[in-house]
Amino acid sequence: MKTITDLILKMGKTDRRWIFLIIALVTLLPLFFPIGLPIRATEQTRVVYEAIEQLPPNSKVLLSVEYSPATKPENHPMTISVMRHLFRNKHKVYITCLWPDGQFMAQDVINMVAVDEFNLTYGEDYVFLGFRPGNEAVIKGIVSNIRKLYTVDVYQTLVDEIPMMDGINKFTDFDFLFSSSSGFPGTIEWVQYAADPTGVPMSSGVTSIQVNEVMPYVQSGQMKGVLAGMPGAAEYEALIGIKGDATSGMDAQSIAHIVIVLFIFLGNAAFFIERKRSKKY
Amino acid sequence: MSSTMIFGAWISVFLTFGIFSYLYKDNPFYKFAEHLFVGVSAGYWTSIFFWTQIQPNLFGRLWPKTEYTDNLWYGIYKGLSFFSSTIFPVGGIDKGHALQMIYLIPLALGIMMLLSLIPKVNWFARWCIGYTVGMAAGLRAYGYLNSNVIAQIKASAFKFGNFDQPFFSLSGDSYFNSLVLLVGTISGLLYFYFSKSHTGLFGKISRVGIFFLMISFGASFGFAVMGRISLLIGRFVDLIKYSNQDYNYATLWILPVLILVLAFSAYKDKAKNKPIVNEK
Repeated sequence: MKTITDLILKMGKTDRRWIFLIIALVTLLPLFFPIGLPIRATEQTRVVYEAIEQLPPNSKVLLSVEYSPATKPENHPMTISVMRHLFRNKHKVYITCLWPDGQFMAQDVINMVAVDEFNLTYGEDYVFLGFRPGNEAVIKGIVSNIRKLYTVDVYQTLVDEIPMMDGINKFTDFDFLFSSSSGFPGTIEWVQYAADPTGVPMSSGVTSIQVNEVMPYVQSGQMKGVLAGMPGAAEYEALIGIKGDATSGMDAQSIAHIVIVLFIFLGNAAFFIERKRSKKY
Repeated sequence: MSSTMIFGAWISVFLTFGIFSYLYKDNPFYKFAEHLFVGVSAGYWTSIFFWTQIQPNLFGRLWPKTEYTDNLWYGIYKGLSFFSSTIFPVGGIDKGHALQMIYLIPLALGIMMLLSLIPKVNWFARWCIGYTVGMAAGLRAYGYLNSNVIAQIKASAFKFGNFDQPFFSLSGDSYFNSLVLLVGTISGLLYFYFSKSHTGLFGKISRVGIFFLMISFGASFGFAVMGRISLLIGRFVDLIKYSNQDYNYATLWILPVLILVLAFSAYKDKAKNKPIVNEK
């Protein structure tokens, strides 16, 4: 018994750099040798899927991109999957950004999905309005008069000349909102200043770290489900039947978590053994 | 594969390893990557802010193409156009706006904000800071009250009146979940009530609140770990992609070079810090 406790104590004093190295290895190995762990959609992801699935064809959907390359592995796969789902169901997609970096993240998704996969026509099937600075004020602007805020799209085309913009004057002209968010301004601001005051249904895909903040709005029905980080994106990929980057990262995610839990367990065990010994002497 | 893409991949790999190298210890690669990130971000944001808001929505409303005439106001514009015809194109700015002189106020507030850089007149900046704070407070007060207070109270407390819900459900609405929510909210709030000492029954309830807070922090920590691992996976996926022939084996070249440089630097530091022994 003493040998085990001594070993745990010794492990508790391991240089943190060894722990970083082990985490890196256990994350890296499943990327080379995938195990193919099963992915089952949670209720929150299923609600998002159903909300989009139940929209009648040709619905006008506002897709807001508010993340930067820093959270690309979490937000990008979910944005790609949601856009695929929207175009597959023949909806009209209007893309805005509350983050400046969101503009080139959105452009990347458009190139991949709308242009390469679906070969859609700009201005008839989708429109890219781009970024405007002002945080909540931008959302308020979209809610009250989008034409005043966006007179030109991201390519500097006059909005009046874009066919898809006919009949789009304010937020209530949209049928649905999906916000792919990684912080402020993002999902919470859309709930507060757009969805709640107007009643337009909305869903969101957020980074893992945001889930706890956003969940109360989901539980209360202010939002229709939420895609929670990379697992949420992987679940959505499973629901639409097209595997992507999130699915391929889930093996590494799961194994890394097991190792981290093990480290937490060992760290706590070392702490309690040490405390017990110090009391004894 | 274009040479620009390959060059971009090499920079990406170098900067990724530069940032990762901080896990070993602070070093010039990390510092370089960090400073470059801050500088590029600031430059990118400034440029985007200017070209998506100030030029089209502010200047575009003050000097629109549709109302271009030879008057004094457009005379000023011609002067500005002389310095930069990209920002102020000849014949007015065509961004679909009509002339709106009220936008002189935001222009003035913007200039006043910039005056904070000049110590003698930096008090001007207080006006626009005051305006911004006031506007944001007013805007947020409504949003928070409506969505975070009223809607949340409605959605939680009022569920007790819903007789259709089951007694117990793992994730959906149920009396048990409503009870947990009620107990958690009240005990959590009481923990932060400091006008009464936390003893007796009050102390016991506030202790329950601590457990709820700890569970909440634990969930946040778990999600934070999940997020960080996701980002690590994202970087690894890119590093693996850039290690193939298409990118001239960027990862496979840069990683050993960086390790060698750091190892050599550590060896030199060790030699430098070696205590000098005086031999007699």
